[in-house]
Amino acid sequence: MGNYFSSIFDRLWGINKDVRILILGLDGAGKTTILYFLKIGEVFNTNPTIGFNVETLTYKNLKLNVWDLGGQTSIRPYWRCYYANTAAVIFVIDSTDTDRIQTASKELHLMLKEEELQDAALLVFANKQDLPGALSASEVSDSLKLVDLKDRSWSIVASSAKTGEGIHEGLDWLIDVIKEEQLQ
Amino acid sequence: MSAYKKKNENDISSSSSGSEVPDKMSIYQDCLKTFNESPISPKKCRLLLAKLLNILTLEGYKKSFTTSEATTLFFSVSKLFQHQNNDSLRQMVYLVIKELSSISEDTLMVTSSIMKDIQSGDNLIKPNAVRTLTRVLDETTAFSAERLFKNCIVSPDSSVCSASLVSSYHVLPIAETTVKRYGTEAMQAIFTPKKVSTYNNNSSSSSSNNNGDEGGSKFYPQSSYMSEYHAFGLTYKLKNNDKIALMKLIQNDFNSLKNQFLKVEWIKVVGELIYKDSSLFSNFEQLLYNGLYQSYEAVKLEIAKLITTLIVDNIAPVNDQLFGSVLEVLKQFLVVPRTSTRFASVRLLNKLAMVAPTKISVCNPELESLINDKNRNISTFAITTLLKTGNSSNIASLISTINKFTHDVSDDFKIIIVDAIRTLSIKFPNEWNVILQFLIDSLKNSDGGIKFKNSVVDCLIDLVQFVPSSKESALENLCDFIEDCEYSEVLVRVLHILGDYGPTASKPSLYVRHIYNRVTLENSIIRSAAVVALSKFVIINGGNNASADPTLAKNIISLLENIKENDVDDEVRDRSAVALECIKENHPDLIKSSKTFDLSVLESKLTQYVTNHEFDSPFDTSSVPQYSEDERRALELKRKQDEINDKNSGDFSSAGKKSKKTDASTKNNGSLGASSSNTTFEQRAKIIHEYTEKLYEASIIPSDGSSKFGKLLNSCGPVPLTEPESEFVISAIKHIFQNYIVLQYNIENTLTDSAVENVQVEVNTNTNKTSNLVFDSSTIIDQLMPGANEQCYAIFEKTSESIKEEEFSNILTFVTKEIDPATQQPFAGDEGFDDEYEFDPLLLTCGDYLQPLFTADFRQDLSKLSFGDSCVYNIKENITLQQAVDKIVLNTNCLPLENTQFIMDESEKHILKLFGKSCLNDDIKIGILIKMIKSSKGIALKAEARSNDQELCSDLVNSLI
Ligand SMILES: Nc1nc2c(ncn2[C@@H]2O[C@H](COP(=O)(O)OP(=O)(O)OP(=O)(O)O)[C@@H](O)[C@H]2O)c(=O)[nH]1
Ligand SMILES: [Mg+2]
Repeated sequence: MGNYFSSIFDRLWGINKDVRILILGLDGAGKTTILYFLKIGEVFNTNPTIGFNVETLTYKNLKLNVWDLGGQTSIRPYWRCYYANTAAVIFVIDSTDTDRIQTASKELHLMLKEEELQDAALLVFANKQDLPGALSASEVSDSLKLVDLKDRSWSIVASSAKTGEGIHEGLDWLIDVIKEEQLQ
Repeated sequence: MSAYKKKNENDISSSSSGSEVPDKMSIYQDCLKTFNESPISPKKCRLLLAKLLNILTLEGYKKSFTTSEATTLFFSVSKLFQHQNNDSLRQMVYLVIKELSSISEDTLMVTSSIMKDIQSGDNLIKPNAVRTLTRVLDETTAFSAERLFKNCIVSPDSSVCSASLVSSYHVLPIAETTVKRYGTEAMQAIFTPKKVSTYNNNSSSSSSNNNGDEGGSKFYPQSSYMSEYHAFGLTYKLKNNDKIALMKLIQNDFNSLKNQFLKVEWIKVVGELIYKDSSLFSNFEQLLYNGLYQSYEAVKLEIAKLITTLIVDNIAPVNDQLFGSVLEVLKQFLVVPRTSTRFASVRLLNKLAMVAPTKISVCNPELESLINDKNRNISTFAITTLLKTGNSSNIASLISTINKFTHDVSDDFKIIIVDAIRTLSIKFPNEWNVILQFLIDSLKNSDGGIKFKNSVVDCLIDLVQFVPSSKESALENLCDFIEDCEYSEVLVRVLHILGDYGPTASKPSLYVRHIYNRVTLENSIIRSAAVVALSKFVIINGGNNASADPTLAKNIISLLENIKENDVDDEVRDRSAVALECIKENHPDLIKSSKTFDLSVLESKLTQYVTNHEFDSPFDTSSVPQYSEDERRALELKRKQDEINDKNSGDFSSAGKKSKKTDASTKNNGSLGASSSNTTFEQRAKIIHEYTEKLYEASIIPSDGSSKFGKLLNSCGPVPLTEPESEFVISAIKHIFQNYIVLQYNIENTLTDSAVENVQVEVNTNTNKTSNLVFDSSTIIDQLMPGANEQCYAIFEKTSESIKEEEFSNILTFVTKEIDPATQQPFAGDEGFDDEYEFDPLLLTCGDYLQPLFTADFRQDLSKLSFGDSCVYNIKENITLQQAVDKIVLNTNCLPLENTQFIMDESEKHILKLFGKSCLNDDIKIGILIKMIKSSKGIALKAEARSNDQELCSDLVNSLI
């Protein structure tokens, strides 16, 4: 009986609703590594993702459905099949891959134009900060022209999936934004 | 509102008995909606997936969904991967994706998710995951699954291991190199027993699905060792081109294997190896023998099957003990309750009956009991097998057994029986009495359609033609039959036969009466046939027919006159007019020609004439061979005997044998190269015809026959003169003209890297004997590219009419030039170097002057020939009796009679009867009786020949081999 009430309560407040988060970005950016760092708290060897990985994890009392989609050119066209009902997008940038940062920017803006993602919050990880020659978060932000974004909560965090730097910080921000939006 | 309604309907249909036909599109919509919900309801999803699966499998892929619908479905199903820790949902997801993958696009999108399950999922879902993975992999992603497949193969769990092995097998076409990298692990799995998981202690996965899981352990109480079978399948596929590796694999201990299917496959591979190299048989003899005493029925049958094929195809000598054990096994299987086992067993016995009928007869009691088997296929095989075991002493009782049974069976089945009986009539001409009675009973019996009646008439016609002692009885019975026959087609055939054979019978007037009855009673088609048949009684000479009985002739003529005046049908009147004219002008050929054309040659010549529009000159029949009645019958009998022989080995070609056959034919790359001993008479005739055409095409001799060469009297061969695997494969055909001998050499260049030019055969008649031949000329082949195949000729003029044995020594001379791989032509400017190649000498013997001739009564005809001679041979070579017989038949060109060209039952003794005539003079006949005994020292032959030409007689008897 108690359960029943609490679930009604939860539903009223939207608390127990699964929160859908996508992790996108070019291939090799570190998306899968980040996903499993969040899930298991460890870094392990990944293979390039053919398709997607999906994991459910609870973070700060929130049940998250995290979708990590492959970033290879051949897989990017299918990202859109998974946009529906997405609360937030985590976009991962390999900060050392300066050659392709423009490609990443193009993919990012293309994605943000999608109708289904209009209400999604955006968290950008300027990843691989542990490596020498990595661009700083503000340099990445400039390249991605994040300041041009209107009507969207966004943030950029310098991170390293290898060391864990910045990951939780970024996610904390994201969760706060999501909770705020649910309460509205 | 509408959404609410839909949901409601859905609930009803899922709880009701399911009598409602699932509507494809509403399920489609439900899927899209339900799978995209957040959170999803696992139970609802599972039910929907089951319905989806139902549509996909019931309606077939093509009809179920369009590509775009399937793709949309696929993506929404893929979202269910987010729902973890629910194995029963995941299993359904896999099943559906597997089915969808053949219509949907973009299924690679689930690759990583599946891989994750295989890596860290529960053993319950791993097999499903692995099997689904192979459906979504393609050439570019397959390599990434290597480690997963390998890990699953070494998994202790039987079903995980099996799934991976089978999946690897399926993925071979796109990823052979990947699979090869874990070939060792696959092979080890053959010999590694695996467990079957019970899933009971796996609480995390079974929490959502308790009921199903509890049953698991009861359902699979122990391992079936299936993974070992799958491991063998994959390993075989990986090694099947490597004989040594297969040999090594098969050397492992057969008895330690636990899975019966694996054992069956194992035996198949053993068979394949023996087929590739028959000397290996002795290595496996013990294994096969022991295997026959194992417990698995399927394994025993497989061994019995292998040994049967080895015996039937004459691959390896099977000793009596092994043969006996096989028969024992098959005999037991004839009476087991399982239909498939009885069928398999009787089918094998049927094959064995072809080659060893007397040995099979130990199974006769069981076979007889199978005649009434409720399975029609089994009873058919039982009967035909029994008939094959028939011998002169038991045919009568066999036929009466069959007679009891044939009344309530279908026509198709009856035709099979009649066919078998027909074979008997050729095999045992002396037993015609019972056979004839059986046929007549079948004819008169009111049941049976036209096809069946026709086949009986066919059989009777054979009797009349090939078993002369049965002729009169058969004809009389046919007369009775046509009095009351409802099929015009059959009637016309019978009338034709009566016309051909009636005139020379003892009471021609009897047939005339029966035939005339048809004229008064039947339709115009039959009346026309009757008119022709009647006229034959006046035209054909011999016996005491109309030509000897003027009153009968007179009567027939007045009958014909009457028909000519009064019949209502144009065709009937025309035919009688023509017949009367022929009788008056004495033109028998129009009604009954003494010679018939070789029909296949006639057909090809006519086709050529019509397609080339050669209408300026009339069609020339002189180039088509013609046969007298006896020659035609000789050819036909030989063809029928070949057919029987063919059936013997027919439809029994195991994979091994097939590959052997194709090997041989690709090597020979031309029919002339085919070794002559195992080609049938008809094939040989065709080859000779083909190459005689080439002789004319090459304009070696003008085709009008008016040249100095004279008429073409005989063509013999092809005689192989090299081993089939040498650099040049050469065979020869000997063409004997009135005044010349033309040797036609067919030369194939089997080298891959060289062309040869200026190719010529240097032929010399053996000099230490005086020769009747003078070398005239020879031809040159300008160029033979690798793999090419052409003919060159050597021509000799005869200096005397008499036949003399000649030996031609042969040397091939040529210039070799290397091939430029870039142009596939010889290097420009390459002079090449001269070379020569000596090959087997070619013999011309008196057999080359003979042609097959049929005789109905060998013994009597032989006694009519005045000269006799005999000769004894001792063949030291290790050849079988059959090979010796084949060689003698080829060398003598005579017709084997009474089926004596087949060695039955691997017996040690044999008698071969041959009959022929000279191609120089149709009246010179020769018969040979050859007794042969095989012993450990070789084969001893005693040949007795009789002929009306003394020289031919002694020449032939001295040059048999
Ligand atoms: N040094 C360093 N390496 C990282 C970091 N994050 C990821 N990597 C490495 O980068 C490689 C690619 O990482 P993944 O997580 O597989 O990349 P992905 O974005 O999932 O790539 P796709 O699946 O192809 O789209 C791996 O070898 C990781 O170990 C990081 O922060 N620092
Ligand atoms: Mg990845």
